[in-house]
Amino acid sequence: MDMPLIEARDIHMHFGHVIALAGISFTLEEGQVHCLLGDNGAGKSTLIKILSGVFRPSKGEYLVAGRDADFGSPRDALDAGIATVFQDLGLVPLMSITRNFFMGREPVRWLGPFHVMKFAYADRVAREEMRRIGIDLRDPEQAVGTLSGGERQCLAIARAVFFGARVLILDEPTSALGVAQTSMVLRYIHQVRGKGLGVIFITHNVRHAMAVGDAFTVLNRGRVAGRFRRGEASIEDLQGLMAGGKELAELAEELGGTV
Amino acid sequence: MAQRIRLLFIAGLAALAFGLVSHTAAAAGQKLRFVFVSHAPDSDSWWNTVKNGIKVAAEQTGVEVEYRNPPNGDLATMARLIEQAAASHPDGIISTIADFNVIGKPLIDAVRRGIPVITVNSGTPEQSEQIGALMHIGQPDYTAGVLAGERAKKDGIHNFVCVNHYITNSASVERCAGFAKGLGIALGSQMIDSGTDPTVVESKVEAYLRANPKTEAVLALGPLSAIPTIAALKAMHMAGHIYFGTFDLSSEIVAGIKDGTVSWAIDQQPYLQGYLPVVFLANYDRYGVIPADKVILTGPGFVTKANVDLVEKYAGTYR
Amino acid sequence: MDESRITEAAPPPRLDERLSRINWAQRLMMRPDSGAGVGVVLLLVFFAFAAAGSGMFAADGIMNWLHVSAELGVVSVPAALLMIAGEFDLSIGSMIGFSGMMAAIPAVYWGWPVWVAILFAFALSVALGWLDGYLVIRTRLPSFIVSLAFLFILRGLSLALSVMLTNQTIISGVNRAAKGDWLAPVFGGQIAQPVFVFLAHAHLIGTYRDGSPLVSGIPMVMIWWVIIAAVAHFVLSSTRFGNYIFAAGGDANAARSLGVPVARVKVILFAATAFCSALLGIAQVMEFGSAAADRGLDMEFEAIIAAVIGGSLLTGGYGSAIGACFGALIFGIAQQGIYFANWNNNWFRVFLGALLLIAVLFNTLIRRRVTGER
Repeated sequence: MDMPLIEARDIHMHFGHVIALAGISFTLEEGQVHCLLGDNGAGKSTLIKILSGVFRPSKGEYLVAGRDADFGSPRDALDAGIATVFQDLGLVPLMSITRNFFMGREPVRWLGPFHVMKFAYADRVAREEMRRIGIDLRDPEQAVGTLSGGERQCLAIARAVFFGARVLILDEPTSALGVAQTSMVLRYIHQVRGKGLGVIFITHNVRHAMAVGDAFTVLNRGRVAGRFRRGEASIEDLQGLMAGGKELAELAEELGGTV
Repeated sequence: MAQRIRLLFIAGLAALAFGLVSHTAAAAGQKLRFVFVSHAPDSDSWWNTVKNGIKVAAEQTGVEVEYRNPPNGDLATMARLIEQAAASHPDGIISTIADFNVIGKPLIDAVRRGIPVITVNSGTPEQSEQIGALMHIGQPDYTAGVLAGERAKKDGIHNFVCVNHYITNSASVERCAGFAKGLGIALGSQMIDSGTDPTVVESKVEAYLRANPKTEAVLALGPLSAIPTIAALKAMHMAGHIYFGTFDLSSEIVAGIKDGTVSWAIDQQPYLQGYLPVVFLANYDRYGVIPADKVILTGPGFVTKANVDLVEKYAGTYR
Repeated sequence: MDESRITEAAPPPRLDERLSRINWAQRLMMRPDSGAGVGVVLLLVFFAFAAAGSGMFAADGIMNWLHVSAELGVVSVPAALLMIAGEFDLSIGSMIGFSGMMAAIPAVYWGWPVWVAILFAFALSVALGWLDGYLVIRTRLPSFIVSLAFLFILRGLSLALSVMLTNQTIISGVNRAAKGDWLAPVFGGQIAQPVFVFLAHAHLIGTYRDGSPLVSGIPMVMIWWVIIAAVAHFVLSSTRFGNYIFAAGGDANAARSLGVPVARVKVILFAATAFCSALLGIAQVMEFGSAAADRGLDMEFEAIIAAVIGGSLLTGGYGSAIGACFGALIFGIAQQGIYFANWNNNWFRVFLGALLLIAVLFNTLIRRRVTGER
């Protein structure tokens, strides 16, 4: 396929006098994991909020499947197949896995004045989808709070995939996870790519990006600081770009090259 | 952890239950058991005198009397209390008639069960008779208000303000309305809904008197409104200069009468409202005797500077 | 809670643990209302000893504490739903007094047919409940504050309007006006009277001296309690709206981002709470034949206490309608039981406070186990 899933051209974003994004271009293709790297304040969050329909860009073009996208709300983006998993995951820990899985998109049938949820079906789907990732649920009625951080992340991704997302935007999915949990999430990202979905993977951990990424875009102070394909850059290159080069090199020297 | 708390909880309940059983078993015996239900909220200290009357009568006649009241004065709760009392098979029920509509039916049901009932305090003799009570012991509120109003008129009063601390009780409103009737004027807006919080009562009275400087008299409906009103009058240096009458007695009101702040207090002798029904019920249950009079009026009597010395010693306990 | 910490550190035994079956008793204990259910049973056992022979468990005694429970249950159930959705309504008690007034004044002083007055009171109350919810959503103030304002406004309005329109604070004579009305008995009447007459003839329940049964029928409030509880339980556990309620209280932002109409859910629940409060207010007016401005005093706290005892989480997202019923039952049994047991009624408050504390501790333990909270 030639047509990219998402194409952003020369995106600008201003908040009053603050320039958050100053001309960013970005493409995502089918079956691609595109890593968006950058330090805090580089503009990653602003960019994904534009891509997911939270903000409208101040200037620039945003195309989804070749067509001009004019999202008024995250719901519009969702309808266009762009699902975003923010850091809070959109999960309610006190609610059951099934209830979370179908939150806002409950399978219902009419019974008099009531929309009755089809729990048998919902439980089955939730259990199957989780098993597909390799998480065997004892009981889909158990609360999400009982799941580990990695399992929650996978649940949020599985939910987005199940409801027909073509593009997944993952906002720092591994930032709060341990080693085993991280590998679980990365493995799942890999699996999702295999289905032909496009994944935008936001992170500031270069190692995690290198593990699954096909393409890398580094942001720094609202601009693109570098763009690479897999194998074109080393971990050190990316890290240097993220920090704006010098400072980190100095720090590395100071600490004996351990950063 | 959960297990342990659960165990503790059960153990505690069991211990409580055991303690209670032994207690009630010891207390039960062959004693006559009466239930006294009033409408007064917990905060109303005036009822202590009634309770003292109950206590003395219970000791003298050797009966057991349970005093009950809706903690916040909600009469719907009072209706349930009467129903509950009837369901517990007492040997007699003594109740106020705070609102005939609400508590009339539960009391009538109690009478239908064959439980002797005496009504006290608020309510009219007619209502008491409709219930089928043995008698009514109290002070008719409206009449007491009228008598007080007439007395004030004779003293040259033309207008007043009524400090009502229990505005949702129709008996309270009738006292104010009666007073206006005795003065020969309309009640209109001469009534403050003061609530029962002393600071609030005090400031509301102050505010009213500042806004209406031509007010000639103040009428309080009981210690809950009278005591803060005394404080308000003293603060405004109006004590002794403004005509101030109140229903009921307390040690503060007695002191007010002595120092001239309070012109008079209407005494309905609450002690008798607690004492008499218990004594009458006990004798009725035991020997079937009861006075032929269906109404015993315990008030109104006026306490003024002239006769306050008699009252002073027992104010707040037996007077 | 220790289990989950272990699995997080060492995953291998996970498979067995996850697949091991849990029996029905364990499943029952995992429900938010299990603690309150156990509490009801314990309390009944307790009073079976403490109030033995007092008539508490005769037909009329049972009816007495059930009546108290039912009246509270009618408002504690919607209060629980609202609490699960993350909001409070402190105006429940005032609404009871207000709606009663709004039914009584037109019926007695304006000569409206009673059924019209009842519908008027319902409409007005629901509209005010809706307004309450709308203000909470629009101002984003805590519902605690907004409904606290409504508590005073409605209590004050009940007094002011009744004094202004009728010069009285108690509106009597509703029963005279309601005679022959078709709607009034639906709230203030009783049903199943023949059953009790039959039971009395069979000497299964006590009678008055004239032979009529001590319990003449089941008050409609109890029927309404059952209906409200059943509908609320069904909605909460089985419908999409129920899912919305949990989501709105559990994490409003997450819910909103997934398309849950959080604002609409909350406003509907405020209106529903007002409806149930009005129902209780009207039921009391039709039962007693009079309306008073101070009806329902402190009911808002009792309703919230019952909901919390029943396992609802104060901060929202967790709870049950059945639990709120258990809470109301515990309240009724304890409050009236203390009289039957011949305790000083001051102890009721001590008891209630202790009960509340125990219930909250206990419910927190259960919830932590079930939801993995730490």
